[in-house]
Amino acid sequence: MDFQQIIAAALSRGGHYADIYIEHTVLQNVELQDGRVSQAQQSVLHGAGIRVVCGEQTGYAYTMDLSQPSLMHAARFAASIGDGNFCAPHCTVCADEILPRPDTSEPQQLEGCEAAALLLKIQERACATDPRIVRVKASLSQRTQQIQFLNSLGEEYTDLRPRTSLFVSIVMEQGEQTQMGFASRMMQHGAEMLTDELVDEVTHEAISRTAFLFDATRIDGGEMPVVMAAGASGILLHEAIGHAFEADFIRQGTSIFSDRLGTEICDPSITIVDDGTQEGDAGRLRWDDEGTAGQRTVLVEKGRLVSFMHDRISAKHFGVAPTGNGRRQSFRHTPQPRMRSTYMLAGETPPDDIIRSVRRGILAQTFTNGQVQIGAGDFTFYMKQGYLIEDGRLTQPLRDLNIIGNGPQALRDICLVGNDLKLDHSASMCGKGGQTVPVSQGLPTVLIKKLVVG
Amino acid sequence: MKETTNRQILHTAMQMVYDEGCHEAKAVLMQNHEDTIQVRGGRVEKLQRAAPTSLALNLFIDGREGFFYTNDLAIDSLHRFVRQAVATTRMLEPDADRTLADPQRYYRGGGPELKNYDATLSDIEPERKIRLATGHNTDASLSHPAIISAETHYSDRQHRAEYLISNGFEGSEASSYCTLTTIVTVEGRDGQHPMDGWGETRIFFDDMPTTGIADVALQRTLRKIGQRPTKSGTYTMLVESPVAGNLLQPLLSAMNGQALQQRMSFLEGRQHTQVGSTLLHLIDDPLQPGTRGACHFDYDGTATSRRTLFDEGRLQTYFIDTLYARKLHMTPTTQGTHHLILRPGDKSLNELMQAASNGILVTDFNGGNCDPSTGNFSYGIEGFVLRDGKLAEPVSGMNITGNMLELWQRLVGAANDADPWETELIPSLMFEGVHFAGN
Repeated sequence: MDFQQIIAAALSRGGHYADIYIEHTVLQNVELQDGRVSQAQQSVLHGAGIRVVCGEQTGYAYTMDLSQPSLMHAARFAASIGDGNFCAPHCTVCADEILPRPDTSEPQQLEGCEAAALLLKIQERACATDPRIVRVKASLSQRTQQIQFLNSLGEEYTDLRPRTSLFVSIVMEQGEQTQMGFASRMMQHGAEMLTDELVDEVTHEAISRTAFLFDATRIDGGEMPVVMAAGASGILLHEAIGHAFEADFIRQGTSIFSDRLGTEICDPSITIVDDGTQEGDAGRLRWDDEGTAGQRTVLVEKGRLVSFMHDRISAKHFGVAPTGNGRRQSFRHTPQPRMRSTYMLAGETPPDDIIRSVRRGILAQTFTNGQVQIGAGDFTFYMKQGYLIEDGRLTQPLRDLNIIGNGPQALRDICLVGNDLKLDHSASMCGKGGQTVPVSQGLPTVLIKKLVVG
Repeated sequence: MKETTNRQILHTAMQMVYDEGCHEAKAVLMQNHEDTIQVRGGRVEKLQRAAPTSLALNLFIDGREGFFYTNDLAIDSLHRFVRQAVATTRMLEPDADRTLADPQRYYRGGGPELKNYDATLSDIEPERKIRLATGHNTDASLSHPAIISAETHYSDRQHRAEYLISNGFEGSEASSYCTLTTIVTVEGRDGQHPMDGWGETRIFFDDMPTTGIADVALQRTLRKIGQRPTKSGTYTMLVESPVAGNLLQPLLSAMNGQALQQRMSFLEGRQHTQVGSTLLHLIDDPLQPGTRGACHFDYDGTATSRRTLFDEGRLQTYFIDTLYARKLHMTPTTQGTHHLILRPGDKSLNELMQAASNGILVTDFNGGNCDPSTGNFSYGIEGFVLRDGKLAEPVSGMNITGNMLELWQRLVGAANDADPWETELIPSLMFEGVHFAGN
């Protein structure tokens, strides 16, 4: 394969940068339902995307056929984004320099019968735990993504990204009531992550979340203080500010934080990072999907907004280095600035003291989904499980509440930060611009003075 | 010529499946052509073209069922893929309910011409599509001084699929769409940047509107300036047509065979009972020519037909495929919806607003969820206070809460404004007595 010729074709009509992203991904999924492991899926995704950047313009084409003529055809189409002012390509890639082996070992995978045995074990243990359980559904998903990347700057890498996800959902009946709850884990590991301890943890989490719902109620909505429990509450950062810190929105001026760089946006006790270096984390990137090395990016330092999350295009626009946030769902998609693992560093307050400080409010513990409106900054997340706080004590179990706030205001309203930072490794996928990528988040217990709950 | 090649790949893959000892199988070869163009500030910001082809296999071996997908169609790769697919299916536990559909139910031709495929779409030069998108993006209305950003997105998709099922079905289907959307962001109050948009979708490129989208997008954005929550309380709620279908989704999910079998449906045991008000009259009509979603057969090859889902509020049917028909001992119906039509009323949205006089018009939903077993829901909303039949202050940051079964009993009005080019023709709807949580 003559990649030099392909890059040259990509840049032949004035583009200043080009890259080739070749992917081979295999996903295997085995599912238990109604007491049997009788369903399996496997998918193979194979192809290459060729991108040409000219200023802030992008030309993109992809193909499943990795032959030279097919890649050349894609390159010529992508090249058409150029303005016709031909720039001599700065291309140092040579065919014999590419394809260094990834310095990662092959991920461990469970064979079909081993995966089936694991799922049956989950069902057996679950059913032995609580007689109210009438249905157990469990699935194990094992994905291996192999990537080869090279660009017109002479940068290149190959990577092997394993991803293993375990889902357990439980249906319980008690009298006339039926409740369903679930738990999951997703890590950038092979099957070695599926220890007995982890499998039991996920199973019992699903059971306890389901059982919790029988006694939980909803409350009359309105504005009230909200304590976000450590861990999964990192969804607050993801929705309230994370997306608004993605620098394509900053470049376009649409984010509510567009003109806030360098200013104080919250209490000095708060530091927030987006991190691509956490080993095993779903958002970990050795390189991002446009060749920038994985890194940890401090977004808010002691209350001051110090960086946005950049891909190559936004970084060039602002004259800064890319932060390794250029991510894409697959070779069918162009990179865009995306979060990786977003979390707030621990503060100093014990979590119990935070709960004791609330006269009437809620403690939010687990969530199902969230979203944000970038321009207005209005975000929501759906709380599945939590508690009413009355006079500093947890009283009534609560469920199914949608929590709404405004990003900058909610950040300003964080008045206590716990000393118990916890990263959440539930399966969490983030959607943006028609693309979905795995992310994670974390938070210490925090108190927000007021959000709309309903 | 290309079609012949695709059919050859399909038959080759099926033969490989047979050779591996699997004799019950479905193979689908899908081929798309997709163009995407984004224009901002009158300049093309992104241009993307692709023509992906992929193969899906659904294998059955003595009650074992596997689903397999690949876009690596090189012959050696296909051999490996099929060999592994058959081996994976063999290791599963048998479940006698898992079989191909009854061949008696397959589509055997003779349906109306669907007129939902623009065969020229992939041949239209990108320059023409760029001109269309750029024309909308440079519309005079987008010179408004409050605008921070105005983006126009054009995308199209030409889809063809060839089907081969081992127990006697061979067919093909085709569809296309082109869509144009303009999204406008303006300078608001207190540092906010309100954003909204408007879009139009057609089956044929030549039917795409050449003007009008940008101005609607701008007006929809400008009217959002100053959004804030209003007082909590019980209001009459109107829901604008483009998002009214969101409230139907929990009902449709609860009609699904899997939800019923897994005991996760608040509509379990409610067939032939009054679920909504008499205004909830909903049909699915896959055989209406010239509409999006039109198709002669489901993904399992079974013939589609016009079905009444809710007859003046009474639930008439569930979505029961072959697997869940066996598990639930029910007659199979269909896998899901194709082209939904909620019976329109005779009033425009404005007339409905005047009829309501006071309340809240919901123009978009912002997050939230619905519990599948109880139907309890909580959704974030934005929109406008309605005062004396007119739009007053814009609202956001509020939730609506309630139960789906109660909500649809409170449906008291339907407008006549559903977009005929959508796959779901749901007009603006009016519900009384809805709880809003805000200030």
